[in-house]
Amino acid sequence: MIRAPLFALALTLGAPALAAPDNDPITPAPTARDWLELAHRPDWSGSWFPVISDQFAQVNTNPPPWKPEVQKQIDHWDAEEKAGRPRGLLLDCLPHGVPTFYLITHNSIEILQTPGRVTILGESDGNRLVRIWTDGRKAPTDPDPSFHGYNIGVWQGDTLAVSTTAILPQTWLAVSEAVGIAIGEGAHVDQKFHLIGPDTLAVDLTITAPAVLTRPWQTRRLFTRKRARSFEIVEGVCRQGDFEETTDKWGNPAWRPVAQSTDGNVVAPTK
Amino acid sequence: MLKKILSPGALAATLAIAAPSLAHHSFAMFDQTKVVNLRGTISSYRWVNPHVSLFVEVQEGPVKHGVWAVELTSPGNLTRLGWSRQSLKVGDKVDIEVNPLRDGALGGGFRKATILSTGQVLQARLVEIEKPGG
Repeated sequence: MIRAPLFALALTLGAPALAAPDNDPITPAPTARDWLELAHRPDWSGSWFPVISDQFAQVNTNPPPWKPEVQKQIDHWDAEEKAGRPRGLLLDCLPHGVPTFYLITHNSIEILQTPGRVTILGESDGNRLVRIWTDGRKAPTDPDPSFHGYNIGVWQGDTLAVSTTAILPQTWLAVSEAVGIAIGEGAHVDQKFHLIGPDTLAVDLTITAPAVLTRPWQTRRLFTRKRARSFEIVEGVCRQGDFEETTDKWGNPAWRPVAQSTDGNVVAPTK
Repeated sequence: MLKKILSPGALAATLAIAAPSLAHHSFAMFDQTKVVNLRGTISSYRWVNPHVSLFVEVQEGPVKHGVWAVELTSPGNLTRLGWSRQSLKVGDKVDIEVNPLRDGALGGGFRKATILSTGQVLQARLVEIEKPGG
């Protein structure tokens, strides 16, 4: 007998919290003009493969201006990597995040343009996705921090200027898959995407990370365009390699864990 | 105490499930300054993200005999280098060059394979696909 009134009371008390907040702007449906406007944007179709050799060259000739106490940690992890004891920044399969997504990827990306938005999709690890809002909005005053942050883009001619804020402080600022440091609080990453050749895309990054850098780090990453179908993005699930095919007790296809070392490489069976 | 509660199989399963996921790793555990040549038979070829891997049973040559675990880049990248999930088959006799594991275990990072029955050479150098075009 008491339960029904209590339930009604709970619904009443809960109602205000369920109502849409006043500051929740509606994104309007794109118009035909919005779609036509895309035709005037630079053509970034195809797949973009990272110039991996240049990633290493960039770090060697223009390393991040680490704070002295951070430099000691970087030197330690660098020595560990060279000694064959890689730290394995990506072992947990959490996203690279911004800016490491651009800095050290070894896999292709693709860039999708739709009204009010540019979307960057990565291939490997299954969790690389950057939404860049180009609809004129401002960044929220207090967005939830995330691996890829909140991305606002502005077209400056044929250059897309992107400002990334609200990056989770645990997100790596990495120079390789084994050397990096958590980017820390208050990080802000500016990027300028632009073609420097018919099939070469430059991403000019200015990385502001007051917790770990003495000054903003400016660096460039290059991607080359591929149109062959063999370069089209394929599914890349990070943890798939942790499992191998088997069947369950009913005969259904299933997965079971594989043997791996603490460094993550597959371990051969012993006889 | 644990052994009294769990059978060996159940214990192994528990440990496996409790292990952290380790899929995407650096290749620094492989010694890039050394090359080891393996001749053997493919016993496993896994076309899987983020690293394709294979096992090769080695019973000859001046190397440790046994099953070697060899790792490569992703299926997507290998596709662009001309590979497919059919490039190697269980039972193929191969010569394989690897950068060996630094800890001396039977494993390495892939450099090159030659399928002995056909002479086909398979490589996995990403630098070859960095240039624009294609």
